[in-house]
Amino acid sequence: MGNNNRVALVRVGPKSLMKRPEGLENIIIPVTDVYETAEEFVLKLDLPGVEKEKINITIQPERLSIRGEAGTTHRDEASLLLREIGVKTYYREFNLGEGIQHQAARAEFEQAVLTVILPKTDAVKAKIISIR
Amino acid sequence: MLVRFDVPRTLNTLFEDFAVSELAPSTRSFPALDIAEYENETVIVAELPGLKKEDVKITFEEDVLTLSGERKPYEIPQDARVLINENRVRTFNRSIRFGHDVDANRISADLQNGMLKIVVPKAESAKPRTIEVK
Repeated sequence: MGNNNRVALVRVGPKSLMKRPEGLENIIIPVTDVYETAEEFVLKLDLPGVEKEKINITIQPERLSIRGEAGTTHRDEASLLLREIGVKTYYREFNLGEGIQHQAARAEFEQAVLTVILPKTDAVKAKIISIR
Repeated sequence: MLVRFDVPRTLNTLFEDFAVSELAPSTRSFPALDIAEYENETVIVAELPGLKKEDVKITFEEDVLTLSGERKPYEIPQDARVLINENRVRTFNRSIRFGHDVDANRISADLQNGMLKIVVPKAESAKPRTIEVK
C-alpha cells in the first residue's frame, strides 16, 4: 500500500457512494480500539477471516499502516443466499507523533483481533511523570 | 501534548462520506453473515472477531437456527486512557429459518480466525433427486 492509494483515499465525494476508487472497491476499515497507558499505546483491530500471514504492518516515523487480506469463504459451487461478508481487504492507517519507540513495536494476533503495542520513549514517559 | 495519535484526516473524510455504508462495519447488523447453499448442505458463515467458542451459542429448534452470544470487553489496565472505542460490547442474536428439512443431529460448527462456520446438512427428503425416465 503505497502513496498512490493514500492519495486516492483523500477525497471520495458523497455522490460516488456507489462507485469507489479503482482498487479500493473492497476496502474495509477495521473496527478499532486504542488505549494509552503510561508506558505504551495499544491498538486492537478486528480482522475476521484474515490469516496471520496475510497481515501487513508497516511502521514509519509518522505513520502506522495495517493491511489484511481476508480469504474466500465459500467453495466454487456455492449459491449464495445471503452475502454480508464477501472477500475483503482491511486497511487502516494511524498518524504517529513523536515519542514512540518504533523498533520496539510488537504485535499479536488472536481470535482475529490484531493487537499492536507501541512502547513510548523514555523521554515521553518522563514528561508524563513530570506533569503529574 | 507530546504524542499525537489521530485517525488521519483521510480516513475521517471517508467515514463521513460513507457514514452508513458497509465501510463503517460497526453500523451493520452483528454478526455479518453469509449463507451458502450446496447440493447436500447449507453453510452459514458468521464474522465473530474477538470471540472464543465458549462465547457462542448455536441452537436449532423448529426449523430455526439461532446464533447468539456475547463479545466480552477488552481487559484494559485501570490507568489506561481510551483514545478510540469503536468496538462496543454487545450481545447478539440472529436467527435463520430453513425452508427445507434439516438433519439436525449432524449440524456442526467450527470457529477459526474469527469466522464461525456452521454446516447444516439437508435431510434426505430435501436433497435434489434425479429422476430417471423409463
